[in-house]
Formats: sequence, C-alpha cells, structure tokens
Amino acid sequence: MLSGRKSTIWVLPESLEPDPLIADIGEVFPTVIEQVQTTLRTWFDTFDWRLYQRGFYLYYDGVDWNLLKKESEDVVASHTTKVASGTYFAWDFPASRIRSILEPILEMRRLLPLVVHDSSATCLRILNKDEKTVVQVFLEEHKLTDHKSVLRTVRLQNVRGYEKNFRELSRFLGNYGIRQKADLFYPFTKGVELGGRQPLDYTSRFDISLKPEFSARSAMIVIYRQLLDTMQRNESGVLDDLDSEFLHDFRVAIRRTRSGLGQVKKVLSKGITDRAKKDFAWLGSITGPTRDLDVYLLYEKNYRPRLPDGLQGGLDIFFADISERRIIARRKLVQHMQSGKYNQILSTWHDHLYSETENEEAENSGIPVVDLSRDIISQKYRKIIKDGKAITLSSPDEHLHRLRIECKKLRYILEFFSSLFPQKDMKQVIKLLKRLQNNLGEFNDLSVQQDMLRNYHTTLRPGSRKNQDLAASLGGLLTNLYHEQQKVRSGFALRFSEFSADGNALLYKKLFDLKT
Amino acid sequence: MSVIAVYHIKGGVGKTATAVNLSYLSAAGGEKTLLCDMDPQGSTTFYFRIRPVEKFNTRKLLKGGKHIDRSIRGTDFPGLDLLPADFSYRNIDIALDDMKKSRQRISRILKPLRKEYDQIFLDCPPNITLLSENIFYAADHILVPLIPTTLSYLALQQLYRFLDEIEESRSKVIVFFSMVEKRKKMHWEIMRQLIKKKGFVPALIPYLADVEKMGLYRQPVNVAFPHSMAAAAYRSLWTEVSKRIGGE
Repeated sequence: MLSGRKSTIWVLPESLEPDPLIADIGEVFPTVIEQVQTTLRTWFDTFDWRLYQRGFYLYYDGVDWNLLKKESEDVVASHTTKVASGTYFAWDFPASRIRSILEPILEMRRLLPLVVHDSSATCLRILNKDEKTVVQVFLEEHKLTDHKSVLRTVRLQNVRGYEKNFRELSRFLGNYGIRQKADLFYPFTKGVELGGRQPLDYTSRFDISLKPEFSARSAMIVIYRQLLDTMQRNESGVLDDLDSEFLHDFRVAIRRTRSGLGQVKKVLSKGITDRAKKDFAWLGSITGPTRDLDVYLLYEKNYRPRLPDGLQGGLDIFFADISERRIIARRKLVQHMQSGKYNQILSTWHDHLYSETENEEAENSGIPVVDLSRDIISQKYRKIIKDGKAITLSSPDEHLHRLRIECKKLRYILEFFSSLFPQKDMKQVIKLLKRLQNNLGEFNDLSVQQDMLRNYHTTLRPGSRKNQDLAASLGGLLTNLYHEQQKVRSGFALRFSEFSADGNALLYKKLFDLKT
Repeated sequence: MSVIAVYHIKGGVGKTATAVNLSYLSAAGGEKTLLCDMDPQGSTTFYFRIRPVEKFNTRKLLKGGKHIDRSIRGTDFPGLDLLPADFSYRNIDIALDDMKKSRQRISRILKPLRKEYDQIFLDCPPNITLLSENIFYAADHILVPLIPTTLSYLALQQLYRFLDEIEESRSKVIVFFSMVEKRKKMHWEIMRQLIKKKGFVPALIPYLADVEKMGLYRQPVNVAFPHSMAAAAYRSLWTEVSKRIGGE
C-alpha cells in the first residue's frame, strides 16, 4: 500500500475556545492562517436508513451529490446535478454511476434531508524553516441549521513525507485534552442525534423481545404498543405523501394488530377487543384504496417490458389515469386521517395499552404467553396442512387465496412470538413458510392484477381512438399475466410439499408441542 | 494517465518553469499529479521548498519501489507530490550503463506510480544521454519548450533524429514556443514558419519577469501571481497540451 493522504479528526472539547488554541499553536509553530470557504451540506437517507445500513453516506453541497463509503471515507460516486427540490427518488437522478448504485438500495423509498449544516474552517498551515507547509490543522465549525447548535472539530492533515511533524502536532493537541476521535461523518451522526433520532432507529421488520414468563396479556400489550408506535411514526410520512412505503408500513401494522386481535383470543376484555376489531377494520378500509393504486403504479416498471412498442401508448394513458385516481383516493384518506373519528380511535387504543389498571380480566390474560403461543401456532399449522393437502391442480383459485391468508396469519403469529423460541429453529420455520407464502403471494398478486385490469377494461367506453389503444394494451397485459399465473400455480405443489414435509412437522412438534 | 517528459537538449529554455507550472495546473484541475525532478541541479525541488531527501540517491532511485515511495514529498498544493532530485543523479548514466535492460529502467520504476497518479511529469536534465533515452522510452509525451531561434530549431531536429535512431516515435513530441520576446522580429518570423509544422501546439510563453521571479517566491506563478500574464500563458499552454494528450 502506497502511503497517501492521511487525516485525523477529533472533537474539540466544549471547554476549549478555538481562538486561544489558534494563538497557542501560532506561538509554538511557525504558522500561516487561512480561512476556508463555507460549505452548506445536506445529508440524506431514507426513513428506514437504507444507505446507512449498507455503509453509505450521501450528501449534497449545492453542486455535487457525493456518495461515500463508511470504512474508507472515500467518495465512491459523485454527480453534479440539480435534483428538483423535494423529489429525491433514485429515479430522479439522471443516468449516472450514483444512480445505478442508489436505485437497487433505495427502491421506492425517497431520500429525506436529515441533517443540514453550514461548515466553515480556519486552516493553520504549519511551516518548517524553508517555509514549506509540513502539516495542516483545520479548526472546523459546523452550524446545524435546524437545531441552532454548533459542532466543533479539529482535523489534522498530513503532508506526504512529513509524518514527524504530523505526530508532533498530534501530541501537542493531545496536551489540550483533544483526544476524542471523530470521523468525516460526525456532523451527520451528531446532527441526527440532536434531531431526536438515531441511525437504524426504524425498520419495517417486526422485532420484539418477549420473555416466556410474560403473561399473555402483558406480551400482547407490548406487541400492540410497538405496532401502534409504528403507525404513529409513519403517520406524517403518509400525510405528506413522502413515498409509498409509509402507507405500506402503516397498513402492515394495522393488519398485524388485527391479526393479533383475531388470533390471540380472550386476552383483552371482550368489550375492548370487539371495539378494537371494528376500529382497526375501519382503519384498514380507509387506507386500502390508496394502497391499491400505489401498488398499480409500482407495477409500471414490471408492465413495460411485457408489451411490444406498439402497445406502450395505451400504458401511458392507463398509468396517467391511475395517477389521477390516486390523487382523489389520497384526498379522501387525508380527510379520514384528520377526522375526529380517526383521532378518537388511536387515542382510545393508546389509553387501553398504557393504562395501568387491568380492570377487565379475560379468560386467557393470565396464562404464560409461551403456552398460549404454542397452542395458536399448532392450531394454525394443522389447518394449513389440512387445507393445503386438499388443493389439486383443478381446485378453484379461491382455495389458494384462502390458504394464502391462513399462511399470512401464521407468519404474523410466528413473528410476534419468535423471541420465545430458539432463534436458529425459528429461522428455519419462517424460511419454509416464507417460500410457500412467496408462491401464494405471487399467485394472488397476479389474480389481483388481472381483476383490476379486467374491471378497468369494462369501464372503457368503446369508440374513441384513445380507448382502443388502451384496450389493446390491457388485452396484451391480461394474456401475459395469465400465462405467468399458470406457471406460478404449477410451482405450488413443490413449495407445499416442502412445507408439509416430515422434517418441518418435527420442528413444529419440538418447538410448539404439535400433536398430530 | 500519461507520463509527460519536459525536455530540451539545451538548458535555460524555461524547462523547469514549465514542469513546475504545468504540474501545478494539472493537480489544481483535480488530477493526482507527481512531478519527478530528474535534474541533479534540483531546481524544481528548490522551487517547492523541499530539501533533497537524506539516504535517497541514484542507487535508490534505480531500485525503485519502496525506496521511491518513501522519498516522495507532498507539496503545499493539494494533489501535487514531488520526487526530489539528488545531486548524485549527475552520475546516473554510469549506473544505468551497468544494468541489464538499461533503456527500460525508468519505465519500470514508473510502472507502480502510474497506478497511483493520474499524471506524471518528468523534469529532465539537458543533454542527450542514456538517461534521456530511458526517459523517451518511458514517456508517453515529450514536451519541448522551443525558443524561436534558428539554433533552437536545429536542436529540435537533432532530437527528432535521435528518436529515429532509438526507434521511438516522433509523434511523442509536443513543441511550444518559450521565452518569446515580443519585440524581436526574428521570433515572430520563425514562429510563423514553424507553427504549422507537426507537433507544434498554438500556445506560447512570453519572456516575462514574473516567470524569472519564481526563484524568489518559490511558488508556481499561478499561485504567486494568479492574475498575471505569465499565469494566463501557462493556463492556455496547459489547455492546449491537455487537448493534445486527450486527443489520442
């Protein structure tokens, strides 16, 4: 490895004022002082930290977008472009290296400006007797624009071949108590923290830690609280329509809650459960239409390559129309979410989950959660095996859909209670279920799409040239999707045989006391 | 990535000033640049306020690798490093002569550095020697400052003939006019005749006091006098040379 540029950054202790330090350095070392230009940096990541998770940092300085890798602190891709303010999806970047890296990572998520700071620096060039610069000291100041705080760092920059002077300065700074190392990303990480967040503080995965001795009631309360928290954290992203994942995660939390209410029975009192079931069904219904249209819009990328050039025009019309419908659906959704009813539902639920008193006991609320969870999981497993075995190639589609829903229920329950069982085993259990679910999900997805296109088709009035184009494109798509669905269906038998295999059954026996 | 040797058979034609200023402009343009001072006089090294490196000499240079790596010094300018000269280079031909494949030695030494730097400049000593032969072999381009006089032109012819003799391509040569004196009619006359010839770039460095003063300020003219005529002249020379290099 050839020796190159090397720099070390420390946090300047709050007790140390920069000016006296500069004066002290100037007294000991021959120094030239220069001001470094101010730069404004905006750091970006998605709500669920997709860049951070993969060791990337991204900032925009008004001219360039720079993508840096954490370990090397090196810019891996840079692009000079203005992206229209507020539209920070990967596809908003012009074709470039930075876009090709961002696209698979961000997918449909929007980049959010998380930290903005104005940085300026005083540079001290330390000279030798030939008045040659042998090391540079930068006293940097980062003004966070949102929080009115100022972060200060000291950076020492080596000059190749003058390492002795670098070490000398580093010792000198050490004498001032400048020892806490920082990195290039310090203004970002510290800024995030001051903004009340932490890197990786949100993930759409359900991750909760329960103890086997928890009562069913306290376990479910912990689970429902976390799901409510997820809803609340996604709420503003839904209202501001930042990207489609906010609504998606919001709805998944609703579905998980409903699944809990329906499957983990008699843990909360009947009154509360009945009411919550009704309320969450309503929440599901008001968020559904927008989500459906989101899904159709996300299909665009998938549909384009299915049709020849001649039929692409019809697709343009179709997606333009879907976008318009979405505007209307969203308007309704926002109205609902700002209504008294909505607020009432969430606050009532919140109060139930956080009230200290357990005034209304229910039949199962006191039994250990681990016992209850075993029962529910075994029961669901048996049902899936029974229903799945009855499915043949000639069964109606409806049977596959029902099985899909049962599998989904099992999946939610497994995820709720996963922390109660050995992790390695749970991984295997979930893996096999997931493979079956993928097959059923894909099958369902393709039926939903065909239904949607068929319904859409029936609303078209014949006659106009535009509608003819549209109908032709829809017809092409329908054929294509149908063939694909047939293929997926033929894969079901294999996936189900894996799931129902003896090995998996033994695992369920061992973990959940399954009785066959 | 290319290796540019700044060369002339004679001394005092503005060779070192060219190497110093163009390497600075190359680095300022964002290319990681190394300037190797091959001249035992060490003027380039002096201009950057760098001292000859202890324990670095002809023997170490020709060994290459870590010996060179350890001796490279950062200049005061971001992206620009220098390999300082050593007085022992005056006997470099004798050392080269003792070696196998003595023509390719410098090329081999530069090989790992080509990976690290975007641009390498060689400031060469005058004369035609075994070292020059090495440099012509190693360089992608030979940049020749030419004072517009008859004798200088004859010296250029000599260079071409030498390249033919060692079977190096004449197309490596890039010529520009140096130390041009506005008031000398003869300079204009000769330039008019030569400018259309192959290898010449349409840029010239006038004879200017600011260039001479580099020894006093020990900085590239584009740093000491960024708004001067001299600075502008080097900028346009670098533009022309970059175009020629990039146009391959």
